[in-house]
Amino acid sequence: MAARGHVQDPNDRRLRPIYDYLDNGNNKMAIQQADKLLKKHKDLHCAKVLKAIGLQRTGKQDEAFSLAQEVATLEPTDDNSLQALTILYREMHHPELVTKLYEAAVKKVPLSEEYHSHLFMAYARVGEYKKMQQAGMALYKIVPKNPYYFWSVMSLVMQAISAQDEKLAQTMFLPLAERMVEKMVKEEKIEAEAEVQLYFMILERLGKCVEALDVVRGPLGEKLTSELRSRENKCMMMYQRLQLWPECNALSYKLLLKNPDDWQFYLSYFDSLFHLMDKSWSQPEEGEHCVEGPVQTTVTEAVKFVVDRMEEQDKKESRPLRGPYLACLELIHRLRQRGCPDEKELGDPLELMVQFFGKFGDKPCCITDLKIYLHLLPPEQRSQFKKRLGELVPLGEAGEDGFGFPGDTKALQRHLCVCQLSRALGLQHALDTEGKLRLITELKAHYHHGLQFGKSCLKTELQFSDMYCLMAAHVYVDLWTETGDENMLWQCLGVLEEGLSFSPSNAQFKLLLLLLFCRLGAFQPVVDLYSSLDAKHVQHDTIGYLLTRYAGSLGQFAAASQSCNFSLRFFHSNQKDTSEYIIQAYKYGAFEKIPEFIAFRTRLNQSLHFAQVRTERMLLDLYTEADVLEESVKAMGVCPEEDDIPWDNMRDNRDLTVLVSWDPKDRELTEEHRRLSLEEESVWLKVRSLTLRLLASLALLGHAPSPRNSDKTNENGISAKSSTLQTLLSQLDQTLETAAQITEKQTQYPFLGPPSSRLASALSSGSCHCQASALQLSLTLRELETTGLDDSTELQTQICNAFKSSVAQLQEMLSRCKGEVLEMKDGRLTTRPSLLETLVFFVETVCVVLWVASYSASVLRPLKSSLQKKKKKKKDSSSAMPVVLCGFQEWTGSLQGVVTQALDHVKGQEASLTALKLAALTLEEGYSQTQEECGFTRAAMDKVQSSYLGSLQELGDLLRKRADSLKSLKI
Amino acid sequence: MTTLRAFTCDDLFKFNNINLDPLTETYGIPFYLQYLAHWPEYFIVAEAPGGELMGYIMGKAEGSVAREEWHGHVTALSVAPEFRRLGLAAKLMEMLEEISERKGGFFVDLFVRVSNQVAVNMYKQLGYSVYRTVIEYYSASNGEPDEDAYDMRKALSRDTERKSIIPIPHPVRPEDIE
Repeated sequence: MAARGHVQDPNDRRLRPIYDYLDNGNNKMAIQQADKLLKKHKDLHCAKVLKAIGLQRTGKQDEAFSLAQEVATLEPTDDNSLQALTILYREMHHPELVTKLYEAAVKKVPLSEEYHSHLFMAYARVGEYKKMQQAGMALYKIVPKNPYYFWSVMSLVMQAISAQDEKLAQTMFLPLAERMVEKMVKEEKIEAEAEVQLYFMILERLGKCVEALDVVRGPLGEKLTSELRSRENKCMMMYQRLQLWPECNALSYKLLLKNPDDWQFYLSYFDSLFHLMDKSWSQPEEGEHCVEGPVQTTVTEAVKFVVDRMEEQDKKESRPLRGPYLACLELIHRLRQRGCPDEKELGDPLELMVQFFGKFGDKPCCITDLKIYLHLLPPEQRSQFKKRLGELVPLGEAGEDGFGFPGDTKALQRHLCVCQLSRALGLQHALDTEGKLRLITELKAHYHHGLQFGKSCLKTELQFSDMYCLMAAHVYVDLWTETGDENMLWQCLGVLEEGLSFSPSNAQFKLLLLLLFCRLGAFQPVVDLYSSLDAKHVQHDTIGYLLTRYAGSLGQFAAASQSCNFSLRFFHSNQKDTSEYIIQAYKYGAFEKIPEFIAFRTRLNQSLHFAQVRTERMLLDLYTEADVLEESVKAMGVCPEEDDIPWDNMRDNRDLTVLVSWDPKDRELTEEHRRLSLEEESVWLKVRSLTLRLLASLALLGHAPSPRNSDKTNENGISAKSSTLQTLLSQLDQTLETAAQITEKQTQYPFLGPPSSRLASALSSGSCHCQASALQLSLTLRELETTGLDDSTELQTQICNAFKSSVAQLQEMLSRCKGEVLEMKDGRLTTRPSLLETLVFFVETVCVVLWVASYSASVLRPLKSSLQKKKKKKKDSSSAMPVVLCGFQEWTGSLQGVVTQALDHVKGQEASLTALKLAALTLEEGYSQTQEECGFTRAAMDKVQSSYLGSLQELGDLLRKRADSLKSLKI
Repeated sequence: MTTLRAFTCDDLFKFNNINLDPLTETYGIPFYLQYLAHWPEYFIVAEAPGGELMGYIMGKAEGSVAREEWHGHVTALSVAPEFRRLGLAAKLMEMLEEISERKGGFFVDLFVRVSNQVAVNMYKQLGYSVYRTVIEYYSASNGEPDEDAYDMRKALSRDTERKSIIPIPHPVRPEDIE
């Protein structure tokens, strides 16, 4: 940890053992050692801080903090104490205290370069840009080193970037930054590349593109050497912003001559060309027409340019580049968009694509390349195109089954590409069921045949024919979704499991299996599949949704909790991690990266997935652990008033195209799908987050001292608490209305795209409304608490009705859970995973209702006992029990009844699942599945069965646990 | 047919098709940020016309100039399965070498699993040779044992006598390399 100076100070020697203990994680010994040392040397402040670090790391935050403050108020100036305090404050997530520390230190030692620089970094860590600017200048005045000066300049740029008022940025911060740099330029003090980069950045942000260009092209620009093509890239950027199309065109042209494969320059070449044409730009008669060289302004020139590039590749002996050929298709596409007839000069797109396939058909990316341009083919040409491609695929003699096979991997790749293209053209989707089944047989045959080429493949490599297997799975999914025939799904699982056995590291097999198991409601196998993907760090944000969307909703609470934890751990480290590298970027002069890092940190903090796992994790904890709601809420520190979700800036970081798809364009994921999915998930998140805050609010309601028999019934605290609940409830009502509108749309996403949110199933299960009315009930009880039992007949009746209606709602929910989740009928296995999801909603709702019941008991108990006291006094035993007390007893009895029924249902399901002998199922071998595939299918079925059992067990356990709380509801 | 550009933080959200490969490590955020902060020019990504990321290279410059050990280092190089066999890795290596040339490096080096025959052969084709073997450089994961690495090198023009690549016959331990 802390740096120890090389000059041996006796204190260093004394402190060393403590450092060592801390480094080795032996915090207790560190504390002991520090105590020992402090007995002898009372004034050895650093020992105190090190002790505080030990305390902090053993969970004694408060003690650690006050010890640290003891030292901090002394305003230490010794390195050891300062560094140790810095570490401590960072671990305590109080980086702002580090700034105070060094502010004090520089006051005492005003000429210390080191402390000033620590102060600058401390400000950087908390984003105090204005103070950074001053600290940078202070440093420069002590030690006139260029980096310090430019730290200050960059801090001005950061003030501009973070300014709410763009005008302030443009008229104050940036111009000031510009002047500061200009001063250095005039004095010829510019030294480093980073300084020029920063200058460029400032001019660019000021929109002074002409000046920026001058810098890049001028002598200062010569310093831009680290990045390849740095000057060209920057010029191009400015040309585009300034709409200097001649320059843009000429530079693109020049760069393409050098590297005819760099796609971005084809795009800028075409863009600029058409801009020039639209403006009817013409070459000036005399002089140099453009600093970047010759400009091309006609389609004829562009066509010739592209054709020349292709010819150049044709003549080459080495591997041809794809760029020119694709540029040709791109140009046709653009000409067609403009309705320009000249596209004919480039040739027929069909012929060009056939040629492209001839050259690059054996590359795995051929499909990705051509897919973008398939729309250039008219629909009636599609079959012909496929036929033409087929002629270019060398296959062996057809065997008995009518299939001919490739003789090597190149031929295999070509054949595969034709299959991929025909899928992308929609030809596979157009087949009828018979056709699709035949296609599957063909794909599987090719898959199996191709395995021979990969016999020597390592476990970490993919099999050459893997993608046939994946495509067969896709066609199975097509059949399943079209016909609802679940056998297709089982066979699909079989073929993928088989694929995985030959190619154990194929991520696409795993992802699709994972998705299918989730759709089937079987979460258990998903855990292993996901962990074998070895997804880490940022991948938790991008593909973590695959896990967290399903784990909880399928009743696998332990797994759900774990999945949330994986993600949370990542997100929580983000804040600290990024600050560190923002500082590094200052140190290394990577100024461009600073706003980038900050934007990145924000993107992670505003992640939809982050908000989801944060909320779900707490809800899960409540549902599974909270025997006493108040205690759990307190331990979690949920504050009902606080909403920490950035609703207006939510970032959807999910990677929704992680599953490979060759589907035709009209079936692909669109921007609209993305938008709808985010909308749906956000509303669902709102429902969940409001539920969480409502539960926290309910818990606090229970905490509040009873206002009974008091005039101060409207004490601020108490009324505030119930008004929070009221506010949240009305927000929930509104959200549920929005939710209903969204589910009405019944948005269907592509199968391989985002999963639907839980919104629709939550609404149809009835859980949201049941929970909302239970929480509403707690408010009514609150009112009763104030009014008392006398003169509240109407209120009491209202409450009793609510009691009854909550039971009825639960009964209805439970009835929706009835049915067999897995069933064998007529030799077929069918699943109804939605029953499982509904059951989960039911159990969650039972939890909520029981918490409300427990709150009710806490309200009614004192009312009852005071009533009894009154009765005793009056010796009056004749009057009847108030209705609400009878109603409550009835209610708890009925709740007990519902829970018992639910437990019976779960038990019954478990029993019938266990009794289900899947082995008795006969799978059709032969035409559709080989014996091996049947084996894999069976294995998949077993996994589903056992996962259902696991879910039911967890649900049963949870119900039993919650049912226990019913016992304590006596009043 | 590739757009080659600087790798940015946003690419971390899009690189799954590359990183879901078993031999490609997904590092913690600090690791990527460290490279972006210190050696942004050495972190290059290739993008396909459809916007998919094809592959990336991540490297750094390090070593003492005085001891003629100043060199470029390849930390990670990976190409998504569907964009392999296009010579993309070679192109990215060429760029890293050019940057290292400009910085006046003596050589470029990299570590590779001895079992990763495909990569070892590719590097050999690109002019790299095994400089030494590092014992148990890769720590065990997923039930696989520790694995040795080859430290492979290619001399740059500054090392006119190609001294930097004379192989060391005895294997070394990870703690003995810098």
